[in-house]
Amino acid sequence: MTSIDEFVSIVRDELGLPVTADDVDLSFDELPGWDSVQMLWLLTILEQRTGKSLSLPDMLEAPSLAGLHKLVVAAR
Amino acid sequence: MKPVVPSDSTPDPADELSRLFSTGEAVARYPRVTELLAAVEPPAFTRACHQLARLDPDAVAAAHPDRPAVTVAITGHGTLSTLVPPLTGELARHGILLRPHVSDFDSYVFDLLDPDSDLYGHGADLTLCVLDPMIVFDEVPVPWRPADVQRVLDEKLRTLERIAATFATASRGMLVLNTIPLPRRFTAQLVDHRSRSELGAVWREANARLLRLATSAPNLVVIDTDPLVAEGIPVTDARMSTYAKAHLSAELLARYARETGHLARHSAGRTKKCLVLDLDGTLWGGVLGDDGVEGVELSDSPKGEAFNGVQRAVKQIGSQGVLVAVVSKNELDLVRAAFRDRDDAELREDDFVRVIANWRPKHDNLKELAQTLNLGVDSFVFVDDSALECGLVRSELPGVAVVRVDGDPALHVEKILRDGWFDTPELTADDQQRVVRYQEELVRKDFLDSFDSVQDFLRELKVTVRLAPVQDAEIPRVSQLTLRTNQFNLTTHRLQQAQVRELAAGPDTRVLTIHSGDRFGDNGLVGAVFTRRHQDALHIDNFVLSCRVFSRGIEQTALAAVLEQARTDGLRAVYATYRPSKKNGAVRDLYPRYGFTPGTEDGDTLVFRHDLRLLPDRPEHVSLHEDLQVECDD
Repeated sequence: MTSIDEFVSIVRDELGLPVTADDVDLSFDELPGWDSVQMLWLLTILEQRTGKSLSLPDMLEAPSLAGLHKLVVAAR
Repeated sequence: MKPVVPSDSTPDPADELSRLFSTGEAVARYPRVTELLAAVEPPAFTRACHQLARLDPDAVAAAHPDRPAVTVAITGHGTLSTLVPPLTGELARHGILLRPHVSDFDSYVFDLLDPDSDLYGHGADLTLCVLDPMIVFDEVPVPWRPADVQRVLDEKLRTLERIAATFATASRGMLVLNTIPLPRRFTAQLVDHRSRSELGAVWREANARLLRLATSAPNLVVIDTDPLVAEGIPVTDARMSTYAKAHLSAELLARYARETGHLARHSAGRTKKCLVLDLDGTLWGGVLGDDGVEGVELSDSPKGEAFNGVQRAVKQIGSQGVLVAVVSKNELDLVRAAFRDRDDAELREDDFVRVIANWRPKHDNLKELAQTLNLGVDSFVFVDDSALECGLVRSELPGVAVVRVDGDPALHVEKILRDGWFDTPELTADDQQRVVRYQEELVRKDFLDSFDSVQDFLRELKVTVRLAPVQDAEIPRVSQLTLRTNQFNLTTHRLQQAQVRELAAGPDTRVLTIHSGDRFGDNGLVGAVFTRRHQDALHIDNFVLSCRVFSRGIEQTALAAVLEQARTDGLRAVYATYRPSKKNGAVRDLYPRYGFTPGTEDGDTLVFRHDLRLLPDRPEHVSLHEDLQVECDD
């Protein structure tokens, strides 16, 4: 996964969150329907999709979907 | 996770589900969503669970007012909101709408020990108190020995015992606890095997004590996590536990949610009642019509032995009040010969409530069987190895739960048992008798056919009715009747045992039981009347009767007796309530038929009034033994 669009569509389809590419820079506090538990599901989903190992504490500190996407891209 | 229920229908149900969610039609087409859910497996199921959990239960309820809803309160030690999506999905698979309430982090002790807590305020049908290993290890000092763990476990068990006692008086619903799994990351911290054994022993003693708690408390269920974990599910995910205080793995919570779904089905009165099985490829190998009685596969070969295992499991299920029937495309004589002459068959014809073998479409046979047994087809579980038959039944009779047992017969049992179709908190004395009673019922039907008029039949049937205040030992059965009965259930108020007990003990309320019998045998406890006295009037708040005994004067007899007693007590009127449900249309006119006049209407609820001037006749053919004067002592 490289593109932010692909990333947003995963969040939308897997979690049922009504997000679009316009929302990626919103802080999680402002993101409609978001709560921190979603991050736990995303960890599992993203690791399955990418085959990479992600750091949950780093993810929990990410400010927005864009920040999260950066972490995923940078992960090995 | 391996696919267990294959989908037989094209197009792909997972695609249709995604489309319903992405186009925003999921609320409007919720019934279709629940059908599709029953046909998908993870990961599509997991995805749908998240989407479903985002729907507003009020919006779904408003669009589909007939849908049963179950309120579930969730509390425990760790982060538990992760339980909501799988629970939403599991309940939806059974057609039930979830109304969840998740408590604050680690608040279970306060929630459950204070009868005035918010949790009790929700009036939940099910209260889940999810127990995880960190309940113990968060309080064990470092360094620790098995004795430290034992001390904490003892404290927790004492708290849980108090919780169970408080819950029994504070809630009308069901409390669900679970045994606590023991992760290796703790056992392995003890380097010597002797101490590890000691830890394993004290841990299991605590879990055993927890399980025993459920055998004495009426509204407590303890889900044993051992068999779930033994299916190959990780207990915990170290990262989730450490960083997010989600101490049980998502996989285990999903599996726990499935078990909870079965309990919710019971709370909503949707427990299945009848297991209907195909024969060739399902209960034995080969084709009876081609291979003959001696040729079908049972015992003798590895595959044959696997079919014996299936038959043993079916017999076991049938011994506990589940009706078992056969619907097969075969010659009836040949089928009878197989059950009679194959000494190695585990099942005999009298293990079945009905054996139907002919060449008609199976859905027609199922509809007729439902009529014969006086049950709805939605109380059936249909098992077949043929994709075609499964697909046909699924599309013709959407209420029937369809289980396809394709391929290896060694896997049949797991597939049949997967969804706990018949799960119930406890068996009643009536359950063990049920198959025999239904069989007697079929003899009665033949007897009826030999008479010219129903009146002659009833006279010869020699019906007896006994009406009496409920006894303590009968409370589980009365609760079960309110939960199982749909057709003759005048208000469909489902009552747990504690609620029945409360009504039986109340100063103004009474619970009267109806026992019936006839020349063919005892029908057992078949009905109940719930009354409430208010000033100089009696209110019949509900009246339930088992579908086995309709239309033979029992309801008329019971009602006449209640009215007579009200007059004897000097009351001025009897009010009776009818609240329509999807299933109880047949009794809409019950009260007017016996001299009640229409009174107030409150929404769709009708309240009828009887002025006690002209009482209905008791049917001549029924002899009544009533015991209404004596108050129940306990």
